[in-house]
Amino acid sequence: MKETNRLKMINMKRLTAWLLACVLLAGLFSCGGHGKLDKAVRSVLVSGDTTRAAYDSLCSLVTENPGKYGDFLTPEGKIDHKKMADFIEQIGANLRPPMHWDTRSYGGVENLSLTVYFERSGSMVPYDSRGDGGQLKKSVNDLINHFPAGSKVDINIVNDGIYPYQHTVDEFLKDRDIYASTAGTGDASYTDFQLIFNKILEAQRPGNVSVLVSDLIYSPKDTHGVSLDKIFNEENSLATRVFARYKGKSVVVQQFLGDYSGKYYPYNNVPFEYHGKRPYYLVIIADNEVMDQLAQDKRYSGVLDAPGVRNSYRFNQGTSEVECRVLPEWKDNAGRFRVKHGDGIVLSKCAGDRETGKLCFSLAANLGTLLKDDALLTDAANYDVQSVDGYTLVVTPIDKSMFTANNKEYLEGMTHILTLTGDLKSPRDEVRISLRNELPAWVKQSSSESDTSAGGSFSTTTLGLEHLLGGMFDAMKGGSSFFDVTINLQR
Amino acid sequence: MKHLVYLIIGIAVTVLFFILSCTDGFNIWEQLFFNQGYNDKMYNLDMYPVIAAITIAVAWGGAAIYYYAINSVKFDRWYHWLAVMGVVVVLAPVICYIYNDTVFANNGLTYIGESIQFEMQTVLFAALLYVIASYSMRWWSSNCRHTPLPQ
Repeated sequence: MKETNRLKMINMKRLTAWLLACVLLAGLFSCGGHGKLDKAVRSVLVSGDTTRAAYDSLCSLVTENPGKYGDFLTPEGKIDHKKMADFIEQIGANLRPPMHWDTRSYGGVENLSLTVYFERSGSMVPYDSRGDGGQLKKSVNDLINHFPAGSKVDINIVNDGIYPYQHTVDEFLKDRDIYASTAGTGDASYTDFQLIFNKILEAQRPGNVSVLVSDLIYSPKDTHGVSLDKIFNEENSLATRVFARYKGKSVVVQQFLGDYSGKYYPYNNVPFEYHGKRPYYLVIIADNEVMDQLAQDKRYSGVLDAPGVRNSYRFNQGTSEVECRVLPEWKDNAGRFRVKHGDGIVLSKCAGDRETGKLCFSLAANLGTLLKDDALLTDAANYDVQSVDGYTLVVTPIDKSMFTANNKEYLEGMTHILTLTGDLKSPRDEVRISLRNELPAWVKQSSSESDTSAGGSFSTTTLGLEHLLGGMFDAMKGGSSFFDVTINLQR
Repeated sequence: MKHLVYLIIGIAVTVLFFILSCTDGFNIWEQLFFNQGYNDKMYNLDMYPVIAAITIAVAWGGAAIYYYAINSVKFDRWYHWLAVMGVVVVLAPVICYIYNDTVFANNGLTYIGESIQFEMQTVLFAALLYVIASYSMRWWSSNCRHTPLPQ
């Protein structure tokens, strides 16, 4: 009897120990649980599959488990896209490196409206000759088509004033001879930029994108006998005066090259026949936040990144937050470092390369939102780099061949690699990179001081362009740099 | 009372180990082996807590099996205890490696070399946790309470 009791006691103790271990383990597992949705979001972000289909699968997970994920549903039982976006943002912010997935475009956000101002001056007509490539008309058609179906689109004809286009948008798109069908609209002998820009800026409502399609040649009335310098000065100051009045607006000027066949009207009013290429421009005007949306919202990716754009520049661009990720594994990396997670970019435990003593590290950055052309972004001379140990910068665009399964997470959504190299001497260093905000070189290169003959660089230049855009730059300079990045180095 | 203190300390150390496996700033798994890309993926895919739980479960489970299932005078020598530890330090990294590899493969990632190096830590942590678990639970074993070292 005594022996039986003793064995019972032993078994009880064993049982207690096992139960204790089980409870402990259950507790531990439950601590680490994040739920199915959390795991699914992490998986999407880590694998870089940030697509509409992936977003839809996350939404399905929510709608299939309304009891568990009721917080992400509206009272009507539909997905609350704002809450989904916040949840995804919160998980992304806690990842290494922090990630961002813009899901706004999937959430039924109201479309922007588009108003096209199509210049119809004498020197614009030869851009749309029947036998030529019709690049100008195609650019406008592309612009309209890059707005989502159902967006409100208005078309106006401009020269001495602004006149509504008398047909439908579909008719405009199909129109093979837009200048013939708009013949007689306004006075085509001159273009009043002051009036046009004022009207556009005044008429603009929230959520609207206005686009002027023009050759940007300033051709006011009564210029007979007036020197070119005077015309340029007038052009420069009118641009400054007009745009300085409208704070909070952003302007993107896109330069294209199109076929031109017909009479060209130079400033001295002695027209000549010209057959060849000529630049034309799309001047996109919108509120700052709308322009930011155009740059970031994938639904409008074709608007600012349109096919055929030779050069572009955004006016009134503040200093932007640029998403940067340190690349832990990269072919150019030399020496050793460890990325500290938290606020800012901090590389700790830095050690130079064993042979050269140099530290070389690379960051993947999304410079696409800056709306700068690659020539500007990849030229290290456009950047200021400050550091104690004299780090140098090389900027290279990212292409698909650089992607591997293991670095996809770091490169996804990024456009450029910023590689910094320096001699690791100081125990602590702070490397500051900034892209200077200057009027780009292409503006001067695309500007001419005379257009009385078709020789030289006539096919790629516009009379007085730098004076017009220079005036706009004075009015809408924005920040002193487009972006700043600081990297703290610690040994 | 003294034995209960051992048990509480053992549980406390194990819980601390688990907590330090989940943290971002100081993560115990990143102290002995660190490869930026690999460790970032481990963190992003929330694998540290699972790896820690597997290691704890195998170590504590191994000790529990030794003291309460095997629990025989035939197997109460230190080398019997060590043999179970041998099984634990092989089993834990193998399970963790299979788990790692499965999660990475599901996300289109390949980290074979890094995973093998990383699991060397699991060997160490499993051994330590096995010792901790042994000293936490041995006192109530009817036949093996004096293993590995009589107290």
